[in-house]
Amino acid sequence: MAVSSPSSNILLLLLISSLDWLSTPGCAFVSDRDHTNPSAPLEPHFTECISREQETFRCWWSPGTFHNLSTPGALRVFYFKKESPTSEWRECPQYIHSNRECFFDKNHTSIWIPYCMQLRSQNTTFFNDDDCFTVENIVRPDPPVSLNWTLLNISPSGLSYDVMVNWEPPPSADVRTGWMRIMYEIQYRERNTTKWEALEMQPQSQQTIFGLHIGKEYEVHIRCRMQAFTKFGEFSSSIFIHVTEIPSRETTFPLAVVLVFGIVGILILIMLIIVSQQHRLMMILLPPVPAPKIKGIDPELLKKGKLDELNLFLSGGGMGGLSTYAPDFYQDEPWVEFIELDTEDADSGEKEDNQGSDTQRLLALSQPVSHHMNIGCSNAISFPDDDSGRASCYDPDLLDQETLMLMATLLPGQPEGGEASLDVEEGASASERSKRALIQTQTAGPQTWVNTDFYAQVSNVMPSGGVVLSPGQQLRIQESTSATEEEKQKNIKESEDRGDEKKQKELQFQLLLVDPEGSGYTTESHARQIGTPPSSPMPGEGYQTILPPPAETKPAVEDNQSPYIAPDSPQFQFSAPVSDYTVVQEVDTEHSLLLNPPPHQSTPPCLPQHPFKALPAMPVGYITPDLLGHLSP
Amino acid sequence: MEPWNEIARKTLKEGDGSQKIQRRQTLGGGVVRGGIVQRCPHQRPARPSLAALGQNALPQHHTRPGTGRVMTPRPSMCHTSSLQTPSDKAQALQISGSDLLSLARSLLQAWVDPLVVLSDSAYTLPHPAHNSISNKIQELQEHSKILGDGLDVLSSKMGPEAQTLSLLPYTGNDIGQDRISKLINFHFLMSCFRRDSHKIDSFLKVLRCRAAKMQPEMC
Repeated sequence: MAVSSPSSNILLLLLISSLDWLSTPGCAFVSDRDHTNPSAPLEPHFTECISREQETFRCWWSPGTFHNLSTPGALRVFYFKKESPTSEWRECPQYIHSNRECFFDKNHTSIWIPYCMQLRSQNTTFFNDDDCFTVENIVRPDPPVSLNWTLLNISPSGLSYDVMVNWEPPPSADVRTGWMRIMYEIQYRERNTTKWEALEMQPQSQQTIFGLHIGKEYEVHIRCRMQAFTKFGEFSSSIFIHVTEIPSRETTFPLAVVLVFGIVGILILIMLIIVSQQHRLMMILLPPVPAPKIKGIDPELLKKGKLDELNLFLSGGGMGGLSTYAPDFYQDEPWVEFIELDTEDADSGEKEDNQGSDTQRLLALSQPVSHHMNIGCSNAISFPDDDSGRASCYDPDLLDQETLMLMATLLPGQPEGGEASLDVEEGASASERSKRALIQTQTAGPQTWVNTDFYAQVSNVMPSGGVVLSPGQQLRIQESTSATEEEKQKNIKESEDRGDEKKQKELQFQLLLVDPEGSGYTTESHARQIGTPPSSPMPGEGYQTILPPPAETKPAVEDNQSPYIAPDSPQFQFSAPVSDYTVVQEVDTEHSLLLNPPPHQSTPPCLPQHPFKALPAMPVGYITPDLLGHLSP
Repeated sequence: MEPWNEIARKTLKEGDGSQKIQRRQTLGGGVVRGGIVQRCPHQRPARPSLAALGQNALPQHHTRPGTGRVMTPRPSMCHTSSLQTPSDKAQALQISGSDLLSLARSLLQAWVDPLVVLSDSAYTLPHPAHNSISNKIQELQEHSKILGDGLDVLSSKMGPEAQTLSLLPYTGNDIGQDRISKLINFHFLMSCFRRDSHKIDSFLKVLRCRAAKMQPEMC
């Protein structure tokens, strides 16, 4: 509770010391100085008044040079205690003549009330104005008891050590009820020296002495005084501390020898085994190091001297080269694979069924497509090797559905601006005009989408971990029963870029034929690409498709366009998807997207410099909050 | 951090060393030493007193009965003497916590005004260390304020008995005109403050140890 002491002593005694200088004993000096005659009579006087525990006190007197008054009873002690205006001088309550002592017991002792002492003989009163005091100022506590020490540690050099000294408060001082607050002072010195080292005063019952020297003997004693007062009690009896050198070296020596011999023995054993070529033991001791392997690359290529071939292989040229899919899109970014599309609709169940069935169909039809996407796993299958330490391969089944859904939703619908409208304009059917207009307007809107590739408009994150995408897509999902078919179409479109284009077109064509109800498609556009104008029914109200561009236009993934449906203009809001378009700011450790990272914690306001103001409202030093509950009125 | 009184003592010791001890006789038979009148027996044989041994730290608080000596008039009683407080350990342990708190708060409140007076006059005190004394008094005022606020919070939790305050007005507003009376009155006020502050400390300490019965190490 050292911290509490300043405030706990606040009222204390500003000026113990000021009162020291205020009340220095000038008179005596003056009197002494004036008095040059050594044989001048010395009046009977009080030598000392002391209280040991702030409950009783004693005063001793001396007859001075008046030897005729030294007989017991010749001098009487009177005291004056200003309790009331009618106080008067009273005689000592208890004499101890053998000691020339007057003892004031508990009943006669009052704290904070001034006492004045007086000696009276038969006909003379010997009184000094300054023989007045209050009891708290004459307290000299008894010395602490049970002083002992324990060794704390020895320095690594083995030359010095620290010692913890502990003791008990003096039994006469009632510290338990808080009546007295005591500070202790330890002093120590080397034996047979004269100068004591004093440690800092503190109120605890223990203290550490640092830096004692091995081999030297030390003497320690302790005294105490009341906190905020000046008078020390007597010193306790001394204890002696002596620590000699500890023979620790010998015990560590054999240990070191044993250790060294053990290590040497093991090394020799290993050497023997290696030399004797015991193959089994060799395998245990020195397991073979695996050869370098890279997924999808013939180990032969990795051997020394075939760097050019390797480069060629890696760049994609030649037969059996690495496919140029963009596997990194969903392979390097682990967060992608964990996003699951959660269509949070009430009737999503139905759609899911549709989706599932459609997806299954798609899977059956486009098996090679998905196969290509699973670049890592497929290569694993095609290049078996010994090492089984491969990183987790995607579960192919899982990936199929997920990647399809993923690509369906994540790859943004990038209308190719003018191209889409161009495509539309090429169309001849009149019924498309309305859609065309919509498409045109639509293309104007999401232009902004073009610039941010692969950004999904995440509008909400489900508690289950799924991501709800933007209203644009949501509306599409909600509105169209053939939304899934749209996705399939998108998938097909995307796979166009990835693989065999013609093959995909055939797939489309097949799909269209298979699904006569495909009301979501402007099949004419597809037919245009393919070359045969099918005559499927026009899409119902409610949505449009953005026509995909010709497949030869742009490379890589920027071209991927998922045909976004433009709902009816009253329902469609260009601004909404755009405003809800959120850039994924961060990915946290659990692979969830953070769209609005939490703001940085503002630093708490600095505590004011002034130490007083830093104190809490509770009276520090007296009551702490945990003691508050124990206070009873 | 050092206890407050230790800081005060050290600071004032510095002031003390720089002053020159002056001595001269006064009418009342006292000696001005260090600027403070010390009453000494005039033309008496040497008589060591308890004061000479540093026994007392307070000047007399009452008129000297029956001595018949002329002396400089001294203030007699502290302005807080009218408050009935326990005067020994038995009484202090007997009264309730609320009463202890109420007494402490009353005493603390009673010293707000006198501390202002002391603070104002400390600066012009005819003493070499008056600057540091003035600083210390200002620190005291701040400490008192903080403690007072804390005790107010505490009393609100302890019930209505702890809330009662006894008014102890301080009527003196000037510590004197001439040098000697200034010093005397200043000294007297400070000694009263010292006594009262020890009372407050004791009462609060008793209260604390009472609350920490289950945890003696907190006492």
